[in-house]
Parts: sequence; C-alpha cells; structure tokens
Amino acid sequence: MSEVNTAVSHVHRVAQALGEPSSLLALREAAWRTFQELPQPYVEKTDLRKLTWEIGSFSEQVGKVPAEVQAYIDRLQHSYALFVDGLPIDFRLSEEAKAAGVTYCTIHEAPEKAETLWKANFGTVVAANENKWTALNQALFAGGVFLYAPKGTHMEAPFETIYVWTGGEAGAYSRSLVIAGELADIRYAETVFAAAAGAKVVNSHVLEIVAMADSRVQVSTADAFHRGSTHFVTRRARVDKDAHVLWTVADTSDGTCVELVENELFGPGAKGLARVVGLGHGRSHVELTASMRHVGRHTESEIVMHGVLRDKANTIFRSRTEIVKGAVGAGSEQHDRMIMIDGTARADAIPMLLIDENDVQRCGHAASVGKIDPTQVYYLMSRGIPKSIAVQMIIWGYLHDTVESLASEPMRDLVVARIERELSR
Amino acid sequence: MGKPDFRVQNLHVSVEGKEILKGLNLHIRGGEIHAIMGPNGTGKSTLASSLMGHPHYEVTAGEVVLDGEDVLAMSTDERARAGLFLAMQYPAEVPGVSNANFIRQALNARRGEGNELPVLQFHRKLQEKMKALNIDPSFAERYLNEGFSGGEKKRNEILQMSMLEPRIAILDEIDSGLDIDALKIVANGVNQLRSENIGFLIITHYQRLLNYIVPDHVHVMMQGRIVRSGDAKLAEELEAKGYDWLKKELGIEDETVEVEA
Ligand SMILES: Nc1ncnc2c1ncn2[C@@H]1O[C@H](COP(=O)(O)OP(=O)(O)OP(=O)(O)O)[C@@H](O)[C@H]1O
Ligand SMILES: [Mg+2]
Repeated sequence: MSEVNTAVSHVHRVAQALGEPSSLLALREAAWRTFQELPQPYVEKTDLRKLTWEIGSFSEQVGKVPAEVQAYIDRLQHSYALFVDGLPIDFRLSEEAKAAGVTYCTIHEAPEKAETLWKANFGTVVAANENKWTALNQALFAGGVFLYAPKGTHMEAPFETIYVWTGGEAGAYSRSLVIAGELADIRYAETVFAAAAGAKVVNSHVLEIVAMADSRVQVSTADAFHRGSTHFVTRRARVDKDAHVLWTVADTSDGTCVELVENELFGPGAKGLARVVGLGHGRSHVELTASMRHVGRHTESEIVMHGVLRDKANTIFRSRTEIVKGAVGAGSEQHDRMIMIDGTARADAIPMLLIDENDVQRCGHAASVGKIDPTQVYYLMSRGIPKSIAVQMIIWGYLHDTVESLASEPMRDLVVARIERELSR
Repeated sequence: MGKPDFRVQNLHVSVEGKEILKGLNLHIRGGEIHAIMGPNGTGKSTLASSLMGHPHYEVTAGEVVLDGEDVLAMSTDERARAGLFLAMQYPAEVPGVSNANFIRQALNARRGEGNELPVLQFHRKLQEKMKALNIDPSFAERYLNEGFSGGEKKRNEILQMSMLEPRIAILDEIDSGLDIDALKIVANGVNQLRSENIGFLIITHYQRLLNYIVPDHVHVMMQGRIVRSGDAKLAEELEAKGYDWLKKELGIEDETVEVEA
C-alpha cells in the first residue's frame, strides 16, 4: 500500500509543477483506493486473468521527440498539444482559436484556469468508480488537455492532442476533457505514437467529451498502441439536447487493447455516429466496442465498423446499441464487417442490441466476417489489374470513407501510412 | 502489332463437375464482328467467362490462342493486358473505389510500366469518352458501379472498353436492360471503335442490337456448342421464326446444357 501512495503522490508532485492545484491530490488518492477496492474486471473476449496490474515506475525525465513525430507536428496547421510520456512538450493555439475565446490548456492547469467548468464536468462522463482501469486513470493521469469552446464557436480546424509513449518502464495514463458550449461546432483529434513497451505494465486512457445543447463535435482518433503492455481505452461523449457527436476511430495497434468508444445520447434529439476502422496484424489482440446509449427521446445513432485482419491478429468488434426505458422514438443502425486477408487471424463481429423501450423507430444491424469478395477481385483483374493490386484497391475502397472523415490531411496520411505499412508487407 | 487473331478450338468447360461447353470452335480476326445468339442456359456466358479466365470455370480440353499466345496459360489480368476484354452481363460493384481511379489503374496496367498516361491527359480522354456515351461527368468520381442502374452499368462497361482499346472485345448481353436511346448510344460506342485493330464477339438475344451493329458472322449456340453459323441474315431469320425450326432441323429436343448421365 505504501508504494502505491508513492506513485500517486509522485505523479501529483510532477503535475503540480505543471500547474495542478494541491486540492487534486485528494481526488487522486480517493481514486487509487477505488482502484484497489474494485474487483478484477471481466471482459468477454479478453482474458484478463494473466494481466498484470503493475503500474511501472515513473520518470520525470523529459523524453525525446522521435523524428517521426517531429515530422508529423511540422505539418500541422492547427492548434495542438504534444505530450511525451505524459509531460507537455509543445503547445500551439491558433490565432483563430484565440479570437474565438477558446480555453485550451493542459488537464493539470484546468482546475485553476476553468474552475467552474472543471468542477461541473471532470469525471462526470467517465467516472473513477466505473471500473478498475478508469479508477487507475483518475489516480495517475498525466498528460492531456482541457478544451472549452464557448457558445457558438465555429471552427473547421481541429484541436489535436498528440500522445507519445517512448516505451520506458512507466505506464501511460492520458486524460483529456473537451467541452463544446451550446451551438458550438468543433473538431477534436487524438493521435497516439507508441514504441514497444520496455516492461509489462497496465495503461489506461480516458477521453471525456461534453457536447452541450445544439453543439456538434467531430472527434478523430488514430491509435497505434504497441505490444508489451495492456491498454484500456475509455472514450465517451455525453450528448445533450439536439447535439451531435461523430467519432472516427482508426486503430492500428499491435498490442493487447480493450477499447470503448461511446456516446451517451442524453438529451432529446441527440445524435451519434461512430465510424471505426481497425487493422489487426502481427499478434495484436484488440477488443473494441463502439457503443450508443440512447437515453433521451428521439435520439439517433449509427455505428459503422470495418476491420481488416492478417497474420495472427485477433480482433473483436462489438457494436452495441442500448435503448433505455423512456428513450421513445429512438433509431439506430449498425454495420459491422470484417475482412480476413491472410494468415490465421481471428475475427469476431458481435452486434449487441439492448432494448428496454417498446416505442423504437428503427433498429437495424448487420454483422459479417469474411474474405474479400472474389467477384470484385475477378472484375478488377479482368481489366488488367494484377491480383495483389486489385486486393489492395478493394481493401482501400472499403476503408476509404472512414479514413476520409479523419480530422486533417496529416492525420489521414498518417493512418494511410500505418495501414499501408502492414498491408504491403 | 498486326491484326488481332483469336482462335478457340474444341473448347470444353466444366463448372462444379458439370460439363457446359462441349467442343466449341470460333475464329475471330481484327475488323470482324461475330454475334452469338441462343436460348437461355445454352452456355453463352460460360463461354465469355471461361475465355476471361473466371476461376469458377474449368477448361478440361481445347485451345484458346490470341495472336499466337496461349491464352489458357494466362491469368485473368494477363489476358486483359494481352488485349482481351469482357463486358460482363452482371459487373461487380466495388464501394470506395472511384470509377476514374479504377479505369486509370486498368489503363496503366494495360499500357505497362513507364508508359503510363499522364493524369491530365487521362482525365481529358475519360471525359471525352463519357460525353460520347452520354454518361454524366459525376460518374467519374462515383464508386465503381455502386448504385448504378442496369443501363448505367452497361454504359460503364462500354466506357471501359473504349478507354482500354482491347484487341478482342466480348460483350455479354450489353443490350439487355437498355431503352432504345441507350441502345443506340451503346451501339454507337461500339461502332466508333470498329477497325482492323479490334475483333468483336457480341452475345445477344435480340436482333434489334444487330440492326445498329451489323455483324459479319452470326453463330447459334445450343447444348454448349455452336450448332449453326451464318451471316447477318441468320439473325433476322431467328428473330422472325424463333429457334424451333432450327432445333427441328438439328434434331435437338432440349437445347440447354443437359446434365450427362
Ligand atoms: N457458376 C456456375 N455454377 C453452376 N452452374 C453454372 C454456373 N455458370 C453457369 N452454370 C450453368 O451452366 C449453364 C449455362 O449457363 P450460361 O450462363 O452460360 O447460359 P447463357 O447461355 O449465358 O444463358 P442466358 O441467356 O440466360 O444468359 C446453365 O445451366 C447454368 O446454370
Ligand atoms: Mg448469359
């Protein structure tokens, strides 16, 4: 127990140097106790029994920015925040965003810089006591942003958070909070660069989004968690009246990951869309759930998941729609499709419908796992296109719409390069 | 390269162990238009697919030679690059792949490395051909055949043909599902391409297409082989009298590809 408190107070001390008020220590310590009290979780398709809950050791040493990351940053035209091993390294707020009166700072500075909003929202979308790994994140979070776009802000350019994990002995616990004021229309992106872990540790990442009435938030994520450690990812948006939150999730991880992306369609008329592309390769094990929880009346959602697998990858895509009692007139669609290219990969496409309300508008779902359609390959070949190129064209075609909806050109290029690297092997 | 020369000799093809083509012969030279007619289920599409190398169809005997090269030894894409083209009865849809990108990949594959058509030139040529076929310019960026109507798919096949300029073009029921205006446009597309450098094999059920594309040779298929060949008059005769007289003459009761005992 004592070593534990060392970790919490250590993280807090480092965070304090970054502007975290002392009052936060109590919150972290409470979360740590919750982490210890909560039972070992059960995850349907991922065996957690052999999983370590080791958190690793922490270093205050600022890691170097890898050349690949620097090249990526150099291309960005929009606002961004760069964290290496949880420490803030680089930060840019565009003139446009400044003029719009946006609050944009590290998560550690937020309790002072935006006290009211912080108190009203932090930990309300992803609570510490939700499960063992959300508790762990709240105890140890290091790195992440706070973003508040005031009422009516309209910005095409995204705010992007770049997390770099250099693969030391420490666990990774990022946490960001994004709040879109009423009628705001904004884009937010998270991009992960990670080296293979030096030690087997547990990692937990959290993103909380609050979309106030009539706002619209487009969120893009590009994860590439590497092997060695276990990664828990919890990203959730609370969507108020007539607000709209659209996710584009691109996952090319090759580690062991349990990920959730969820919209809580809270207010009446709230809408949600989750587009997911996943590339399973190597020995990756990714269990990714895209979820829509309909609470408000006349809420609408759509989930589109496209997976491509090769090698010995094991990918589980779960599309989950929950319509709670009282969410009358809700409508939802799910499309979940996975293509196995080669190897002995294992794919599971699991549609889930949990419906407690009788008055439902529509509720469609389709899930399939299969190989590339041979009639498409034949058709392309019949025009002179060699088989290997035909296969790549079909796969890219299948991923195209989702990749196109990522937040920026550099992000699209990054995801394309990550997929290409694995597909062209 | 000289005039195309395409020869099919004693072709036998099975699908799932069932013999469908039973010794088919055909000889097409550049500048010629051959039409194949015949009742449903007599093996016309099977012929087209097996010439293109569809993996479902197994050639059990015979020879196919294009310009002296053994076609049967080639994969489907090699056949296409050698100059064979098949406008399919039911072309596949490929979401996420734009029509223009697809045609450009195909054209560059056919032209070979180092001989690719520059992008601007390609698009100019594509728009020109689309205009001639009365295809809306937006179809360049539409996903390949996705959500196309039957007639739009057929016109898109002809568009690909006129872009790729094959040596031997096989058109499988390019006229089905077309209204008379679209039929004229498609026929016009074929006629524009007509030259010594291309030979056509046109599979159809209807004389009306052959009013616009006048064939040099007409063949009738029954029971997996060609049972009668003639000139354009044969098609007119079939249109007027149907197939029964021919069946009677040939002593055929069931013209389809019956399963052998
Ligand atoms: N892939 C296949 N699997 C099984 N049977 C097939 C296949 N392709 C063709 N056949 C059979 O072969 C026979 C000939 O079919 P084919 O499509 O070649 O006829 P067709 O002359 O083109 O007919 P239509 O005029 O109706 O287009 C039919 O009995 C058909 O069921
Ligand atoms: Mg046919």
